[in-house]
Amino acid sequence: MGLFALKSRQRFAPWLGLVPFLAFCLAFEIIPIIVLVRGSISDSDGVLTFANYQRVSAPLYVRSLWNSIQLSAITASLGTLLGLFIGYAIFNWPSERFRESLIALSDVTTNFAGAPLAFAFIVILGSNGVITLLFERQLGLELYPAFSIYSYSGLVLAYVYFQLPLMVLLIIPAFAGLRREWRESALNLGASTRQYWRRIGMPLLLPSLLSGFILLFANAFGAYATAYTLAGSRLSLVTLQIGFSVTGEVRHEPGVGDALAVVSLITMGMCVLAYQLLNLRMRSEMR
Amino acid sequence: MNQTARRPSPSGAAMIGLFLAYMLIPIAATYLFSVATKWDATILPEGFTTEWYVTAFNHAYFASSLTNSFIVSLSAVLIGLLLVVPTTYWVHARLTGAKPLLELLMILPFGIPTVVLALALIRVYSFPPLGRSPFLLIGAMIVFSMPFMYRPVSNSLAAINVRILTEAAYNLGASTFQVLGRVIAPNIMPGILSGSLLVFATVFAEFTLANLITGAGFKTFPVLLVEFTRRDGRVAAALAVISFTIAWIASLAILGIARRGKTTHETVRAR
Repeated sequence: MGLFALKSRQRFAPWLGLVPFLAFCLAFEIIPIIVLVRGSISDSDGVLTFANYQRVSAPLYVRSLWNSIQLSAITASLGTLLGLFIGYAIFNWPSERFRESLIALSDVTTNFAGAPLAFAFIVILGSNGVITLLFERQLGLELYPAFSIYSYSGLVLAYVYFQLPLMVLLIIPAFAGLRREWRESALNLGASTRQYWRRIGMPLLLPSLLSGFILLFANAFGAYATAYTLAGSRLSLVTLQIGFSVTGEVRHEPGVGDALAVVSLITMGMCVLAYQLLNLRMRSEMR
Repeated sequence: MNQTARRPSPSGAAMIGLFLAYMLIPIAATYLFSVATKWDATILPEGFTTEWYVTAFNHAYFASSLTNSFIVSLSAVLIGLLLVVPTTYWVHARLTGAKPLLELLMILPFGIPTVVLALALIRVYSFPPLGRSPFLLIGAMIVFSMPFMYRPVSNSLAAINVRILTEAAYNLGASTFQVLGRVIAPNIMPGILSGSLLVFATVFAEFTLANLITGAGFKTFPVLLVEFTRRDGRVAAALAVISFTIAWIASLAILGIARRGKTTHETVRAR
């Protein structure tokens, strides 16, 4: 028995090294999320109930959920499509130095978007924005009210600003994975460039495009700072509604914020899971 | 490229021109706007001034919010380093079986929207000294930023032979702390530096957690910036420029580290 204890101690001793990190994750990540999920399915006395989720089915919240999904889908599609073409243009650029600078630019612009960037769009395209006024006074073109940076169309423009460079960063390695010989042999066998892309290039890029789209979708779905700075309470998005339930800027029925938070947590979680699974599959196929 | 000098295709050049315009015009315009006197019907401003910066500097909350942001960012970097580097090292050297668990825990923050993280933390820690305090904010910032620390550190560790270095140091009589501090850390310095800069820059720019957890009680720089976007656009532009500049400096430093790491790597290979 003494020997067994010694052996199991040797086996488990290394795990002790993980204790500080695991304790931190439990305290600041896992337990809070569990408490949130439990709170969303219980009433003020702690009795199991789905009333909070029934409240979420009110038109205001359903619309905020729908707006978020729509905005995420539109900006992820635009980001994927534009990122595909711009990524290809960057990948094919002859000067390595310039190519690296463009990749670095994508890195910076996708990471540090947020409140300052949202404000930069107000500077150029706000109701008194530099470009808005330039168009109006020099070209006689009135952008407002057809377009507004504070509305849905403005949010799309500001979101694509951080979606597009993210897709560029995701797709360039995929282009690098397409071997030159494949294209050469296809062309030698009499295929046109168009046929090469349709039959060989695109099918090979498809998993990367799909996983990129999913990541972009999650990226937009969870965003808050850009929408808060631009639209404030003028537009209803899930993250904005959850934020209001914290700050109390808009009165909510209690528990609704928790239920909305769990719904968006599940949405984001599924996206991140799908992204990971797709990437695992791509990596194992590469081998 | 080992091909003969190619020229960029016209469509590629047009695409990249549009990309550059999209990425750079908002930022360049904000820099110009922050020093412009009047700019409402011309391509370039009619005159230049530093007035908006003076107003920003003299604002009651300017110095305190900048200090608060530095406190939060530096704390997140320091605690993040202490939490992530030894753990990642330990998993690489002694506990490779725990690698999937660590990877999972480092992906998890990406699946949690920042608003949800803020709400969850406020629900659990509603009592002093944590409730709505800078401490809770720092904790939240660490959760949100630890993948940025983990990725470069883990990549650096994978690039060196952790096990052999560790064994050798132990055989020479080093303690665990000596191994980590004197042997491993110097070897993964590029990863540690880029991770720290990335955490610093993302935490410094983070608005959501700061606005929801501490809000007006402990104003950070981005919170002050958003407040000004609704009050005085000129001053907001000056604050946005300061944010952009900090982000660019951090990014250029990260790039410099990556480039240096690559050249030393290549020279080693060339030998």
